[in-house]
Amino acid sequence: MRRVSALLVLMLLTLNACAFSRGTLGDEIKTDTVNSIKKGVTTRSEVLALLGAPDRLLQLNGRDLFQYYRYDAKVGSLLLIVLNFSRVSVKSDDLFVIINREGTVEEVIASKRTEGLEFRFWPFGD
Amino acid sequence: MAGRNRAVTLLFSAVIALALSGCNVVRLTINTPLTPQSVAFITEGRTTLADVIDTLGAPDSMTDAEAGTLVTYRFLDAKYSRVNFGWLLKPWSPVDPDLVFSRSGLGTDAFDLLCDNNWVVTHHAFVRHRPAPPFTPYPF
Repeated sequence: MRRVSALLVLMLLTLNACAFSRGTLGDEIKTDTVNSIKKGVTTRSEVLALLGAPDRLLQLNGRDLFQYYRYDAKVGSLLLIVLNFSRVSVKSDDLFVIINREGTVEEVIASKRTEGLEFRFWPFGD
Repeated sequence: MAGRNRAVTLLFSAVIALALSGCNVVRLTINTPLTPQSVAFITEGRTTLADVIDTLGAPDSMTDAEAGTLVTYRFLDAKYSRVNFGWLLKPWSPVDPDLVFSRSGLGTDAFDLLCDNNWVVTHHAFVRHRPAPPFTPYPF
């Protein structure tokens, strides 16, 4: 009991602060919106109406490639008086829509990596 | 006796605290770092981009290349550590002394795939090997 009390006192004395920070870039890419884009059916103008202008527009072997992305960053810091631990985790959601020469969607490539993003303090290990 | 033990424990804690004074350990991770093992399933000439996306998710960029489409996955695992030995002198110094040793390793790594017009992977490679630096603040 005394040891536990001593440990608690030591932690209270050394635990200066905790910090949680979060930053995002771009709009959320909703799964429902992505699912509503159908290959060979949805047109270029419908994609633009659903998602807005792309973050990047590229030419891919004569086809248009619309890229949409969103970044999410979470920072956890454990600030002891003399020793600080911080971990910054950044992940991105990316959506690529390839539109063929006829103006309809040829391919949709999407993934949501930010869903599993957590606040972490401990910088060691995986 | 108990009071003496408490004093020794307190002193020991203070010494440990001073020895660790001004330490920072920071880690930055962007996306999930890929390893040769995690991309071992890719067979050039057989694996399609759809197979790769099923396993690794969407890439970070796709660009037009003369031989097809270049697909890139980017990731980063950086470590930073810092010790300020100036803290050891703080109790006795009228000024705020700093003697900082710090070290970090940065550099976005990437995994590139080259796909032909049928979205079959024809080449794949890491742009550079991902370093696995330990948390050592000694910069020399």
